[in-house]
Amino acid sequence: MIAFEHVGKRYGGRFEALADVNFRLSRGEMVFLTGHSGAGKSSVLKLLTCLERPSRGRIVVAGHDLGRLGNAQIPFYRRQLGVVFQNHQLLFDRSVFENVALPLSIQGFTADEVARRVRAALDKVGLLHREKALPIELSGGEQQRIGIARAVVHKPALLLADEPTGNLDPQLSADIMRLFEDFNRIGTTVLIASHDLALIARLKHRVLRLREGRLVGDEGMGS
Amino acid sequence: MKKGRRTRQGARNQQSSFERQRLAWQAHHRQTARDALHRLKQRPIGTAMTLMAIAVALVLPAALWLLLGSAQVLDRNLSDTAQLTVYMTPSASDVDASSLLERVRARDDVGSVTLVTPEQGLEQFQKTLGLGDALSGLDKNPLPAALIVKPVTQTPEAVSALSLALKQMPKVDEAQVDMQWLERLKQLSTLGQRVVLSFGALFALGVILIVGNTIRLSVENRREEIEVITLIGATHAFVRRPFLYSGAWLGLGGGIASLILLAAGMAWLSAPLTALAESYGGQWAVPSLGFEGSLFLLIVSTLLGWLGAFIAVGRHLSHMTPK
Repeated sequence: MIAFEHVGKRYGGRFEALADVNFRLSRGEMVFLTGHSGAGKSSVLKLLTCLERPSRGRIVVAGHDLGRLGNAQIPFYRRQLGVVFQNHQLLFDRSVFENVALPLSIQGFTADEVARRVRAALDKVGLLHREKALPIELSGGEQQRIGIARAVVHKPALLLADEPTGNLDPQLSADIMRLFEDFNRIGTTVLIASHDLALIARLKHRVLRLREGRLVGDEGMGS
Repeated sequence: MKKGRRTRQGARNQQSSFERQRLAWQAHHRQTARDALHRLKQRPIGTAMTLMAIAVALVLPAALWLLLGSAQVLDRNLSDTAQLTVYMTPSASDVDASSLLERVRARDDVGSVTLVTPEQGLEQFQKTLGLGDALSGLDKNPLPAALIVKPVTQTPEAVSALSLALKQMPKVDEAQVDMQWLERLKQLSTLGQRVVLSFGALFALGVILIVGNTIRLSVENRREEIEVITLIGATHAFVRRPFLYSGAWLGLGGGIASLILLAAGMAWLSAPLTALAESYGGQWAVPSLGFEGSLFLLIVSTLLGWLGAFIAVGRHLSHMTPK
Protein backbone atom coordinates (compact mmCIF):
# COMPACT_ATOMS: atom_id res chain seq x y z
CA MET A 1 0.00 0.00 0.00
CA ILE A 2 2.75 2.44 0.98
CA ALA A 3 6.41 2.15 0.04
CA PHE A 4 9.09 4.67 1.12
CA GLU A 5 12.39 4.05 -0.68
CA HIS A 6 15.42 6.10 0.45
CA VAL A 7 13.19 9.11 0.99
CA GLY A 8 14.81 12.41 1.95
CA LYS A 9 13.28 15.83 2.42
CA ARG A 10 15.19 19.08 2.80
CA TYR A 11 13.76 22.50 3.45
CA GLY A 12 15.53 25.51 2.01
CA GLY A 13 18.47 23.34 0.95
CA ARG A 14 19.86 23.09 4.52
CA PHE A 15 17.49 21.68 7.11
CA GLU A 16 17.09 17.95 6.64
CA ALA A 17 13.66 16.85 7.88
CA LEU A 18 13.91 13.28 6.61
CA ALA A 19 16.99 11.28 5.62
CA ASP A 20 16.98 7.91 3.88
CA VAL A 21 13.67 6.67 5.23
CA ASN A 22 12.63 3.18 4.12
CA PHE A 23 9.49 1.29 5.07
CA ARG A 24 6.58 -0.59 3.59
CA LEU A 25 2.96 -0.89 4.65
CA SER A 26 0.85 -3.76 3.35
CA ARG A 27 -2.81 -3.42 2.50
CA GLY A 28 -4.98 -3.77 5.62
CA GLU A 29 -2.22 -2.95 8.13
CA MET A 30 -2.62 -0.60 11.09
CA VAL A 31 0.60 1.22 11.96
CA PHE A 32 1.64 3.95 14.38
CA LEU A 33 4.27 6.53 13.52
CA THR A 34 5.94 8.03 16.60
CA GLY A 35 8.76 10.33 17.55
CA HIS A 36 9.32 13.66 19.29
CA SER A 37 8.03 16.77 17.63
CA GLY A 38 10.44 17.65 14.87
CA ALA A 39 11.40 14.01 14.34
CA GLY A 40 9.74 14.03 10.93
CA LYS A 41 6.21 12.68 11.54
CA SER A 42 4.56 15.70 9.93
CA SER A 43 6.91 15.55 6.98
CA VAL A 44 5.95 11.92 6.34
CA LEU A 45 2.25 12.86 6.38
CA LYS A 46 2.79 15.93 4.18
CA LEU A 47 4.60 13.74 1.67
CA LEU A 48 1.84 11.13 1.77
CA THR A 49 -0.87 13.76 1.17
CA CYS A 50 1.16 15.38 -1.62
CA LEU A 51 1.37 18.68 0.23
CA GLU A 52 5.09 18.36 -0.38
CA ARG A 53 7.28 16.40 -2.73
CA PRO A 54 10.31 14.32 -1.69
CA SER A 55 13.76 15.84 -2.31
CA ARG A 56 15.20 12.36 -2.76
CA GLY A 57 13.99 8.79 -3.13
CA ARG A 58 10.66 7.38 -4.17
CA ILE A 59 7.22 7.15 -2.52
CA VAL A 60 4.66 4.79 -3.99
CA VAL A 61 1.10 4.74 -2.63
CA ALA A 62 -1.51 2.38 -4.09
CA GLY A 63 0.52 2.24 -7.31
CA HIS A 64 1.05 6.02 -7.64
CA ASP A 65 4.62 7.34 -7.67
CA LEU A 66 3.99 10.53 -5.71
CA GLY A 67 7.13 12.28 -6.95
CA ARG A 68 5.87 12.00 -10.52
CA LEU A 69 2.21 12.76 -9.92
CA GLY A 70 1.23 15.82 -11.98
CA ASN A 71 -0.40 18.76 -10.21
CA ALA A 72 -3.67 18.08 -12.01
CA GLN A 73 -3.73 14.47 -10.79
CA ILE A 74 -3.13 15.29 -7.13
CA PRO A 75 -6.82 15.95 -6.28
CA PHE A 76 -7.81 12.57 -7.69
CA TYR A 77 -5.02 10.85 -5.74
CA ARG A 78 -6.15 12.57 -2.53
CA ARG A 79 -9.68 11.26 -3.01
CA GLN A 80 -8.32 7.79 -2.32
CA LEU A 81 -7.13 8.94 1.11
CA GLY A 82 -8.97 9.75 4.30
CA VAL A 83 -7.23 12.34 6.45
CA VAL A 84 -7.89 13.03 10.14
CA PHE A 85 -6.28 16.20 11.51
CA GLN A 86 -5.15 16.95 15.06
CA ASN A 87 -7.47 19.96 15.33
CA HIS A 88 -10.10 18.14 13.22
CA GLN A 89 -10.32 21.11 10.77
CA LEU A 90 -14.11 21.22 10.67
CA LEU A 91 -15.78 24.15 8.91
CA PHE A 92 -17.60 26.04 11.63
CA ASP A 93 -20.07 27.78 9.36
CA ARG A 94 -21.63 24.48 8.28
CA SER A 95 -23.62 21.79 10.00
CA VAL A 96 -22.21 18.42 11.01
CA PHE A 97 -23.99 16.86 8.04
CA GLU A 98 -22.47 19.33 5.56
CA ASN A 99 -19.01 18.86 7.03
CA VAL A 100 -19.15 15.10 6.64
CA ALA A 101 -20.68 15.45 3.16
CA LEU A 102 -17.75 17.57 1.93
CA PRO A 103 -15.64 14.79 0.30
CA LEU A 104 -18.76 13.45 -1.43
CA SER A 105 -19.85 16.81 -2.84
CA ILE A 106 -16.32 17.34 -4.12
CA GLN A 107 -16.54 14.00 -5.91
CA GLY A 108 -19.93 14.76 -7.44
CA PHE A 109 -22.24 12.33 -5.65
CA THR A 110 -25.99 12.87 -5.96
CA ALA A 111 -27.91 14.28 -3.01
CA ASP A 112 -29.59 11.00 -2.03
CA GLU A 113 -26.33 9.08 -2.26
CA VAL A 114 -24.64 11.77 -0.14
CA ALA A 115 -27.36 11.59 2.50
CA ARG A 116 -27.17 7.79 2.66
CA ARG A 117 -23.40 7.67 3.04
CA VAL A 118 -23.16 10.59 5.46
CA ARG A 119 -25.73 8.98 7.77
CA ALA A 120 -23.89 5.64 7.58
CA ALA A 121 -20.61 7.37 8.54
CA LEU A 122 -22.23 9.38 11.34
CA ASP A 123 -23.88 6.23 12.62
CA LYS A 124 -20.51 4.48 12.72
CA VAL A 125 -18.98 7.20 14.91
CA GLY A 126 -22.14 7.26 17.06
CA LEU A 127 -23.25 10.81 16.25
CA LEU A 128 -26.17 10.27 13.89
CA HIS A 129 -28.44 12.26 16.22
CA ARG A 130 -26.21 15.38 15.91
CA GLU A 131 -26.30 15.73 12.11
CA LYS A 132 -28.06 19.13 12.24
CA ALA A 133 -25.81 20.56 14.95
CA LEU A 134 -23.06 23.08 14.27
CA PRO A 135 -19.54 21.87 15.14
CA ILE A 136 -19.22 24.60 17.78
CA GLU A 137 -22.04 22.96 19.78
CA LEU A 138 -20.08 19.70 20.09
CA SER A 139 -17.47 18.63 22.63
CA GLY A 140 -13.82 18.12 21.60
CA GLY A 141 -14.24 14.34 21.44
CA GLU A 142 -17.39 14.65 19.34
CA GLN A 143 -15.70 17.12 16.98
CA GLN A 144 -12.88 14.65 16.46
CA ARG A 145 -15.37 11.87 15.74
CA ILE A 146 -17.00 14.12 13.11
CA GLY A 147 -13.54 14.65 11.64
CA ILE A 148 -13.15 10.86 11.43
CA ALA A 149 -16.59 10.44 9.87
CA ARG A 150 -15.58 12.97 7.21
CA ALA A 151 -12.34 11.05 6.58
CA VAL A 152 -14.09 7.72 6.01
CA VAL A 153 -17.36 8.78 4.35
CA HIS A 154 -16.02 8.11 0.86
CA LYS A 155 -14.59 4.71 1.91
CA PRO A 156 -10.90 5.43 1.33
CA ALA A 157 -8.45 2.55 1.08
CA LEU A 158 -5.89 4.43 3.20
CA LEU A 159 -6.66 6.39 6.37
CA LEU A 160 -4.03 8.86 7.60
CA ALA A 161 -4.30 10.53 11.01
CA ASP A 162 -2.11 13.29 12.44
CA GLU A 163 -2.18 13.27 16.26
CA PRO A 164 -5.89 12.41 16.29
CA THR A 165 -5.95 12.26 20.12
CA GLY A 166 -3.69 15.25 20.71
CA ASN A 167 -6.20 17.32 22.66
CA LEU A 168 -8.31 14.57 24.23
CA ASP A 169 -8.28 12.94 27.68
CA PRO A 170 -7.17 9.25 27.95
CA GLN A 171 -10.70 7.82 27.99
CA LEU A 172 -11.76 9.71 24.83
CA SER A 173 -8.41 8.89 23.21
CA ALA A 174 -9.01 5.18 23.76
CA ASP A 175 -12.49 5.51 22.20
CA ILE A 176 -11.05 7.22 19.15
CA MET A 177 -8.38 4.54 18.74
CA ARG A 178 -11.04 1.84 18.99
CA LEU A 179 -12.84 3.57 16.13
CA PHE A 180 -9.68 3.39 14.00
CA GLU A 181 -9.36 -0.30 14.85
CA ASP A 182 -12.95 -0.84 13.67
CA PHE A 183 -12.17 0.69 10.30
CA ASN A 184 -8.96 -1.32 10.09
CA ARG A 185 -10.91 -4.50 10.77
CA ILE A 186 -13.05 -3.94 7.64
CA GLY A 187 -9.93 -3.66 5.47
CA THR A 188 -8.84 -0.03 5.61
CA THR A 189 -5.09 0.55 5.86
CA VAL A 190 -4.47 2.94 8.78
CA LEU A 191 -1.40 5.07 9.53
CA ILE A 192 -1.56 7.16 12.71
CA ALA A 193 1.09 9.69 13.70
CA SER A 194 1.04 10.06 17.49
CA HIS A 195 3.33 10.73 20.43
CA ASP A 196 0.94 9.22 22.96
CA LEU A 197 3.36 6.39 23.78
CA ALA A 198 1.32 4.94 26.66
CA LEU A 199 -1.73 4.54 24.47
CA ILE A 200 0.29 3.07 21.59
CA ALA A 201 1.93 0.56 23.92
CA ARG A 202 -1.46 -0.72 25.06
CA LEU A 203 -2.67 -1.26 21.51
CA LYS A 204 -0.68 -4.06 19.95
CA HIS A 205 0.14 -2.70 16.52
CA ARG A 206 3.23 -2.14 14.46
CA VAL A 207 5.14 1.03 15.44
CA LEU A 208 7.51 3.04 13.25
CA ARG A 209 9.83 5.23 15.32
CA LEU A 210 11.41 8.37 13.88
CA ARG A 211 14.28 10.36 15.40
CA GLU A 212 15.84 13.41 13.78
CA GLY A 213 14.51 12.47 10.40
CA ARG A 214 15.66 8.86 10.45
CA LEU A 215 13.72 5.68 10.99
CA VAL A 216 15.19 4.20 14.18
CA GLY A 217 12.67 1.52 15.02
CA ASP A 218 10.15 -0.77 13.35
CA GLU A 219 8.56 -2.86 16.07
CA GLY A 220 5.77 -5.36 16.37
CA MET A 221 5.82 -6.24 12.72
CA GLY A 222 3.45 -9.05 11.90
CA SER A 223 2.13 -9.24 15.45
CA MET B 1 -31.24 -15.85 -20.59
CA LYS B 2 -30.42 -14.91 -17.05
CA LYS B 3 -27.02 -13.59 -18.10
CA GLY B 4 -28.54 -11.50 -20.90
CA ARG B 5 -30.90 -9.80 -18.49
CA ARG B 6 -28.06 -8.98 -16.13
CA THR B 7 -26.02 -7.40 -18.94
CA ARG B 8 -28.94 -5.25 -20.03
CA GLN B 9 -29.50 -4.15 -16.50
CA GLY B 10 -25.80 -3.38 -16.18
CA ALA B 11 -25.95 -1.16 -19.25
CA ARG B 12 -28.97 0.64 -17.89
CA ASN B 13 -27.25 1.20 -14.57
CA GLN B 14 -24.20 2.58 -16.29
CA GLN B 15 -26.26 5.00 -18.35
CA SER B 16 -28.24 6.17 -15.38
CA SER B 17 -25.07 6.63 -13.34
CA PHE B 18 -23.73 8.98 -16.03
CA GLU B 19 -27.07 10.79 -15.99
CA ARG B 20 -26.95 10.90 -12.19
CA GLN B 21 -23.49 12.44 -12.29
CA ARG B 22 -24.63 15.13 -14.72
CA LEU B 23 -27.58 15.94 -12.46
CA ALA B 24 -25.31 16.03 -9.41
CA TRP B 25 -23.00 18.41 -11.25
CA GLN B 26 -25.87 20.73 -12.15
CA ALA B 27 -27.19 20.59 -8.61
CA HIS B 28 -23.71 21.44 -7.34
CA HIS B 29 -23.55 24.50 -9.61
CA ARG B 30 -26.98 25.70 -8.50
CA GLN B 31 -26.02 25.17 -4.87
CA THR B 32 -22.71 27.00 -5.31
CA ALA B 33 -24.42 29.93 -7.05
CA ARG B 34 -27.01 30.16 -4.26
CA ASP B 35 -24.33 29.95 -1.56
CA ALA B 36 -22.30 32.68 -3.22
CA LEU B 37 -25.36 34.95 -3.34
CA HIS B 38 -26.17 34.12 0.26
CA ARG B 39 -22.65 35.00 1.41
CA LEU B 40 -22.90 38.38 -0.33
CA LYS B 41 -26.22 39.06 1.40
CA GLN B 42 -24.65 38.25 4.74
CA ARG B 43 -22.36 41.26 4.39
CA PRO B 44 -24.87 43.82 3.08
CA ILE B 45 -22.78 46.95 3.64
CA GLY B 46 -19.57 45.63 2.15
CA THR B 47 -21.49 44.19 -0.80
CA ALA B 48 -23.40 47.42 -1.35
CA MET B 49 -20.18 49.42 -1.37
CA THR B 50 -18.59 47.08 -3.89
CA LEU B 51 -21.70 47.22 -6.08
CA MET B 52 -21.73 51.03 -6.00
CA ALA B 53 -18.03 51.15 -6.87
CA ILE B 54 -18.68 48.87 -9.86
CA ALA B 55 -21.76 50.90 -10.84
CA VAL B 56 -19.83 54.17 -10.79
CA ALA B 57 -17.06 52.64 -12.88
CA LEU B 58 -19.61 51.44 -15.44
CA VAL B 59 -21.81 54.55 -15.52
CA LEU B 60 -19.12 56.94 -16.72
CA PRO B 61 -18.23 55.17 -20.00
CA ALA B 62 -21.88 54.20 -20.58
CA ALA B 63 -23.08 57.81 -20.16
CA LEU B 64 -20.34 59.07 -22.47
CA TRP B 65 -21.38 56.46 -24.97
CA LEU B 66 -25.02 57.59 -24.84
CA LEU B 67 -24.14 61.27 -25.22
CA LEU B 68 -21.85 60.44 -28.10
CA GLY B 69 -24.68 58.47 -29.68
CA SER B 70 -27.02 61.45 -29.58
CA ALA B 71 -24.24 63.70 -30.88
CA GLN B 72 -23.95 61.36 -33.85
CA VAL B 73 -27.67 61.60 -34.52
CA LEU B 74 -27.26 65.36 -34.49
CA ASP B 75 -24.29 65.06 -36.82
CA ARG B 76 -26.32 62.97 -39.27
CA ASN B 77 -29.17 65.49 -39.23
CA LEU B 78 -26.75 68.30 -39.95
CA SER B 79 -25.07 66.38 -42.74
CA ASP B 80 -28.44 65.86 -44.38
CA THR B 81 -28.85 69.61 -44.57
CA ALA B 82 -25.57 70.10 -46.40
CA GLN B 83 -26.19 72.46 -49.29
CA LEU B 84 -24.33 74.66 -51.70
CA THR B 85 -25.10 78.20 -52.61
CA VAL B 86 -24.11 79.08 -56.17
CA TYR B 87 -23.80 82.84 -56.73
CA MET B 88 -24.00 84.06 -60.30
CA THR B 89 -22.00 86.98 -61.64
CA PRO B 90 -23.77 90.37 -61.26
CA SER B 91 -23.98 90.66 -65.04
CA ALA B 92 -26.05 87.47 -65.40
CA SER B 93 -29.57 87.98 -66.80
CA ASP B 94 -32.78 86.17 -65.95
CA VAL B 95 -32.32 84.03 -69.03
CA ASP B 96 -28.80 83.06 -67.91
CA ALA B 97 -30.21 82.15 -64.52
CA SER B 98 -32.94 79.86 -65.86
CA SER B 99 -30.56 78.13 -68.31
CA LEU B 100 -28.11 77.51 -65.46
CA LEU B 101 -30.99 76.19 -63.37
CA GLU B 102 -31.83 73.64 -66.11
CA ARG B 103 -28.24 72.54 -66.50
CA VAL B 104 -27.73 72.06 -62.79
CA ARG B 105 -31.01 70.25 -62.40
CA ALA B 106 -29.96 67.78 -65.15
CA ARG B 107 -26.92 66.63 -63.15
CA ASP B 108 -27.06 63.15 -61.54
CA ASP B 109 -25.37 64.23 -58.35
CA VAL B 110 -27.83 67.01 -57.63
CA GLY B 111 -30.88 66.24 -55.55
CA SER B 112 -32.79 69.49 -55.82
CA VAL B 113 -32.19 73.06 -56.98
CA THR B 114 -34.01 76.25 -56.13
CA LEU B 115 -33.49 79.53 -57.88
CA VAL B 116 -33.33 82.65 -55.74
CA THR B 117 -33.80 85.68 -58.01
CA PRO B 118 -32.13 88.97 -57.00
CA GLU B 119 -35.58 90.29 -55.98
CA GLN B 120 -36.30 87.28 -53.73
CA GLY B 121 -32.83 87.57 -52.30
CA LEU B 122 -33.36 91.19 -51.43
CA GLU B 123 -36.72 90.40 -49.85
CA GLN B 124 -35.18 87.69 -47.64
CA PHE B 125 -32.34 90.00 -46.76
CA GLN B 126 -34.74 92.71 -45.68
CA LYS B 127 -36.79 90.26 -43.64
CA THR B 128 -33.96 88.67 -41.79
CA LEU B 129 -32.06 91.86 -41.09
CA GLY B 130 -35.07 94.14 -40.56
CA LEU B 131 -33.42 96.80 -42.72
CA GLY B 132 -36.44 97.34 -44.97
CA ASP B 133 -36.24 101.12 -45.23
CA ALA B 134 -32.48 101.35 -45.51
CA LEU B 135 -32.41 98.94 -48.44
CA SER B 136 -35.39 100.42 -50.26
CA GLY B 137 -33.27 103.54 -50.55
CA LEU B 138 -30.94 101.77 -52.96
CA ASP B 139 -31.67 102.54 -56.55
CA LYS B 140 -30.26 99.26 -57.81
CA ASN B 141 -30.49 95.73 -56.39
CA PRO B 142 -26.88 94.79 -55.53
CA LEU B 143 -27.60 91.09 -55.11
CA PRO B 144 -26.84 88.48 -57.81
CA ALA B 145 -29.15 85.58 -58.65
CA ALA B 146 -28.31 82.45 -56.65
CA LEU B 147 -29.03 78.70 -56.76
CA ILE B 148 -29.55 76.62 -53.64
CA VAL B 149 -28.25 73.14 -54.51
CA LYS B 150 -28.79 70.00 -52.43
CA PRO B 151 -26.37 67.21 -53.35
CA VAL B 152 -27.54 63.59 -53.58
CA THR B 153 -24.55 62.23 -51.65
CA GLN B 154 -23.80 63.99 -48.40
CA THR B 155 -20.17 62.94 -47.91
CA PRO B 156 -17.67 65.79 -47.75
CA GLU B 157 -15.82 64.38 -50.78
CA ALA B 158 -18.93 64.30 -52.99
CA VAL B 159 -20.00 67.76 -51.87
CA SER B 160 -16.64 69.36 -52.64
CA ALA B 161 -16.45 67.63 -56.04
CA LEU B 162 -19.88 69.02 -56.90
CA SER B 163 -18.90 72.47 -55.74
CA LEU B 164 -15.82 72.39 -58.02
CA ALA B 165 -17.94 71.33 -61.01
CA LEU B 166 -20.54 74.04 -60.38
CA LYS B 167 -17.87 76.73 -60.06
CA GLN B 168 -16.67 75.98 -63.59
CA MET B 169 -20.06 76.60 -65.17
CA PRO B 170 -20.61 79.86 -67.17
CA LYS B 171 -21.77 82.98 -65.36
CA VAL B 172 -21.01 81.39 -61.98
CA ASP B 173 -19.08 83.58 -59.61
CA GLU B 174 -18.83 81.39 -56.50
CA ALA B 175 -20.09 78.07 -55.16
CA GLN B 176 -20.05 78.13 -51.40
CA VAL B 177 -20.22 75.29 -48.97
CA ASP B 178 -19.02 75.31 -45.42
CA MET B 179 -17.15 72.02 -45.53
CA GLN B 180 -14.77 72.74 -42.74
CA TRP B 181 -17.20 72.56 -39.86
CA LEU B 182 -18.74 69.38 -41.28
CA GLU B 183 -15.32 67.76 -41.36
CA ARG B 184 -14.49 69.05 -37.92
CA LEU B 185 -17.69 67.52 -36.62
CA LYS B 186 -16.73 64.19 -38.18
CA GLN B 187 -13.29 64.34 -36.60
CA LEU B 188 -14.75 65.31 -33.26
CA SER B 189 -17.09 62.35 -33.46
CA THR B 190 -14.18 59.97 -34.20
CA LEU B 191 -12.25 61.50 -31.34
CA GLY B 192 -15.29 61.08 -29.09
CA GLN B 193 -15.54 57.41 -30.01
CA ARG B 194 -11.91 56.82 -29.14
CA VAL B 195 -12.25 58.69 -25.86
CA VAL B 196 -15.24 56.53 -24.95
CA LEU B 197 -13.35 53.36 -25.93
CA SER B 198 -10.28 54.23 -23.89
CA PHE B 199 -12.39 55.28 -20.91
CA GLY B 200 -14.33 52.07 -21.33
CA ALA B 201 -11.14 49.99 -21.27
CA LEU B 202 -9.82 51.85 -18.21
CA PHE B 203 -13.04 51.49 -16.27
CA ALA B 204 -13.35 47.82 -17.27
CA LEU B 205 -9.92 47.36 -15.71
CA GLY B 206 -11.31 49.23 -12.70
CA VAL B 207 -14.20 46.77 -12.37
CA ILE B 208 -11.77 43.83 -12.57
CA LEU B 209 -9.64 45.40 -9.82
CA ILE B 210 -12.64 46.20 -7.59
CA VAL B 211 -14.04 42.66 -7.84
CA GLY B 212 -10.56 41.15 -7.63
CA ASN B 213 -9.84 42.97 -4.40
CA THR B 214 -13.19 42.01 -2.85
CA ILE B 215 -12.68 38.37 -3.81
CA ARG B 216 -9.10 38.43 -2.57
CA LEU B 217 -10.40 39.41 0.87
CA SER B 218 -13.00 36.66 0.89
CA VAL B 219 -10.33 34.16 -0.19
CA GLU B 220 -8.28 35.29 2.82
CA ASN B 221 -11.33 34.80 5.06
CA ARG B 222 -11.87 31.32 3.75
CA ARG B 223 -8.23 30.28 3.65
CA GLU B 224 -8.72 27.41 6.12
CA GLU B 225 -11.70 26.07 4.24
CA ILE B 226 -9.71 26.15 1.01
CA GLU B 227 -6.88 24.23 2.66
CA VAL B 228 -9.22 21.59 4.03
CA ILE B 229 -11.16 20.95 0.84
CA THR B 230 -7.94 20.94 -1.19
CA LEU B 231 -6.54 18.29 1.13
CA ILE B 232 -9.59 16.08 0.71
CA GLY B 233 -9.36 16.13 -3.06
CA ALA B 234 -10.98 19.29 -4.37
CA THR B 235 -9.70 20.30 -7.80
CA HIS B 236 -8.69 23.89 -8.48
CA ALA B 237 -11.91 24.30 -10.45
CA PHE B 238 -13.94 23.24 -7.42
CA VAL B 239 -12.07 25.66 -5.13
CA ARG B 240 -12.47 28.46 -7.64
CA ARG B 241 -16.15 27.92 -8.39
CA PRO B 242 -17.79 29.68 -5.41
CA PHE B 243 -15.54 32.70 -5.88
CA LEU B 244 -16.27 32.84 -9.60
CA TYR B 245 -19.98 32.87 -8.81
CA SER B 246 -19.44 35.63 -6.23
CA GLY B 247 -17.51 37.66 -8.79
CA ALA B 248 -20.18 37.13 -11.44
CA TRP B 249 -22.95 38.10 -8.99
CA LEU B 250 -21.04 41.26 -8.03
CA GLY B 251 -20.55 42.11 -11.70
CA LEU B 252 -24.20 41.51 -12.50
CA GLY B 253 -25.39 43.48 -9.46
CA GLY B 254 -23.03 46.34 -10.28
CA GLY B 255 -24.31 46.30 -13.85
CA ILE B 256 -27.93 46.56 -12.68
CA ALA B 257 -27.01 49.39 -10.28
CA SER B 258 -25.25 51.21 -13.12
CA LEU B 259 -28.34 50.90 -15.35
CA ILE B 260 -30.45 52.47 -12.59
CA LEU B 261 -27.93 55.28 -12.07
CA LEU B 262 -27.77 55.85 -15.80
CA ALA B 263 -31.55 56.03 -16.21
CA ALA B 264 -31.83 58.41 -13.26
CA GLY B 265 -29.04 60.61 -14.58
CA MET B 266 -30.50 60.75 -18.08
CA ALA B 267 -33.96 61.60 -16.73
CA TRP B 268 -32.41 64.42 -14.73
CA LEU B 269 -30.50 65.78 -17.74
CA SER B 270 -33.26 65.29 -20.29
CA ALA B 271 -35.29 68.45 -19.51
CA PRO B 272 -32.46 70.97 -19.92
CA LEU B 273 -30.99 69.09 -22.89
CA THR B 274 -34.32 68.97 -24.71
CA ALA B 275 -34.81 72.68 -24.05
CA LEU B 276 -31.33 73.38 -25.36
CA ALA B 277 -31.95 71.32 -28.50
CA GLU B 278 -35.27 73.07 -29.10
CA SER B 279 -33.67 76.48 -28.84
CA TYR B 280 -31.49 75.44 -31.79
CA GLY B 281 -34.62 74.33 -33.62
CA GLY B 282 -33.61 70.66 -33.28
CA GLN B 283 -35.26 67.67 -31.78
CA TRP B 284 -33.60 65.57 -29.17
CA ALA B 285 -34.78 62.28 -27.81
CA VAL B 286 -33.56 61.25 -24.34
CA PRO B 287 -30.91 58.64 -25.16
CA SER B 288 -31.20 55.23 -23.54
CA LEU B 289 -29.26 52.01 -23.94
CA GLY B 290 -32.37 50.13 -25.00
CA PHE B 291 -32.88 46.42 -24.40
CA GLU B 292 -29.86 45.21 -26.38
CA GLY B 293 -27.53 47.83 -24.94
CA SER B 294 -28.64 47.07 -21.39
CA LEU B 295 -28.21 43.35 -21.96
CA PHE B 296 -24.76 43.98 -23.41
CA LEU B 297 -23.78 46.06 -20.39
CA LEU B 298 -25.00 43.35 -17.99
CA ILE B 299 -23.16 40.59 -19.86
CA VAL B 300 -19.96 42.61 -19.95
CA SER B 301 -20.16 43.53 -16.27
CA THR B 302 -20.88 39.92 -15.28
CA LEU B 303 -17.91 38.69 -17.33
CA LEU B 304 -15.65 41.37 -15.84
CA GLY B 305 -16.67 40.30 -12.32
CA TRP B 306 -16.00 36.69 -13.18
CA LEU B 307 -12.61 37.60 -14.63
CA GLY B 308 -11.66 39.66 -11.57
CA ALA B 309 -12.52 36.71 -9.32
CA PHE B 310 -10.62 34.28 -11.55
CA ILE B 311 -7.46 36.38 -11.32
CA ALA B 312 -7.78 36.84 -7.54
CA VAL B 313 -8.29 33.13 -6.79
CA GLY B 314 -5.69 32.11 -9.35
CA ARG B 315 -3.06 34.09 -7.49
CA HIS B 316 -3.94 32.23 -4.29
CA LEU B 317 -4.05 28.79 -5.92
CA SER B 318 -0.68 29.23 -7.56
CA HIS B 319 0.85 29.31 -4.05
CA MET B 320 -0.73 25.97 -3.21
CA THR B 321 1.15 23.60 -5.49
CA PRO B 322 3.38 21.11 -3.60
CA LYS B 323 7.06 21.94 -3.31
